[in-house]
Amino acid sequence: MSGKTFFIDLTKCTACRGCQVACKQWHKLPAEATKQLGTHQNPQDLSFTTYKLVRFKEIEDKGGGLRWLFFPEQCRHCVEPPCKAVADGYDERAIIRDELTGAVIYTEFTKALKDLEPTELCPFNIPRKDSVSGIWGKCDMCLDRVHNGLKPACVQSCPTGAMNFGERDDMLALAEKSLEAAKKRFPKAEMANVDDVRVVVLCAYPPADYYEFLMADAGPNVAPMTRKAMLAMLTRPFRQS
Amino acid sequence: MNVLRRQFLKLAGVAAAATAFGGLGFDLKPTTAHAQLLKLSWAKQTTSVCCYCSVGCGLLVHTAKEGSGRAINVEGDPDHPINEGSLCAKGASIWQLGENDKRVLTPMYRAAYSDKWEPKSWEWMLETIAKRVKDVRDQTFETKNAKGQIVNRTMGLASVGSAALDNEECWIYQSMLRALGLVFIEHQARI
Repeated sequence: MSGKTFFIDLTKCTACRGCQVACKQWHKLPAEATKQLGTHQNPQDLSFTTYKLVRFKEIEDKGGGLRWLFFPEQCRHCVEPPCKAVADGYDERAIIRDELTGAVIYTEFTKALKDLEPTELCPFNIPRKDSVSGIWGKCDMCLDRVHNGLKPACVQSCPTGAMNFGERDDMLALAEKSLEAAKKRFPKAEMANVDDVRVVVLCAYPPADYYEFLMADAGPNVAPMTRKAMLAMLTRPFRQS
Repeated sequence: MNVLRRQFLKLAGVAAAATAFGGLGFDLKPTTAHAQLLKLSWAKQTTSVCCYCSVGCGLLVHTAKEGSGRAINVEGDPDHPINEGSLCAKGASIWQLGENDKRVLTPMYRAAYSDKWEPKSWEWMLETIAKRVKDVRDQTFETKNAKGQIVNRTMGLASVGSAALDNEECWIYQSMLRALGLVFIEHQARI
């Protein structure tokens, strides 16, 4: 499998949020009204106009220690995207995949999916719907940049080397090397969802400590398929590929 | 704990169903996304330096070649030795410094005891500042201290900043301040 892949090394992330702002800047997405809730995580969640979000989590250990964990979240660009599987049942133009890079791209035809919830499309709870138009939005891998030889805005802006992007083989090699190095400091360090996604995340601690959806997991938060999505899929005419 | 492919497909209930009915038209044939043109293709590229902190990160500023000639994108300069293309959250937002309808376009003046800001011209502002610096300096200049030692200083003025100055600018600024007799000279990188 070729194409592009991100490698995110959480042991290097300082939560400066340069990636989050660089994403907004490149896509010219508007700011959101936010509230002070005692956390640096801001805004609180991804949205139709926030594709990249650095999540902050405080973990109190039994021994009295405190861990402050950061996770720059974005679409994982799954190798076989479940969202596309669902969307194809509604409109094949809604979600497309770029052959060159493997990027999963949402188009304006995603408005056909306006009755769905994020977790019905995505095991990582990523895409968000515009409440007015019903169109879905998420990270587009900065496909215009990547097709023109540039790195995605988030990767380019990262000062610490936590965000990396390149050919899949190179990134997997880098990930393996980084995991080995990380294990010296963090014996429980592990990689989340390597084979299935194009955003490989190296976690210093168990992935669920960072965020419940960091790693796709058959937890209670994954909603079962809706009746509507099921019917759409069943009643869809047979297509020859 | 790597998730196996089969487990992964089970994850979204949706995908589980997709597998079950896979033979009934489940089509993963990729649709090619057309290569997109970069908006920077029509832009003029200029280098600049971030004005915020004292690190001095290099920037690439893209301005529209046609029409308004305004900035359309600002990002880190990968060839700059200081930041090698990276930027922090504040630096990454610097496009908004220039392209912002809330931007203040003239110097603003608030008179002593006033609760209002009023727009002023640059000429008025620079002249007023110069006049006040001269007045305070003349009023507070002391040639000798309490012990009778020659000091030639003013204790009535202080300078704070600026991290965004380069070496040569700092030299000129420092010369001017010392010539005035300032002793309180501080730089925010130390604060």
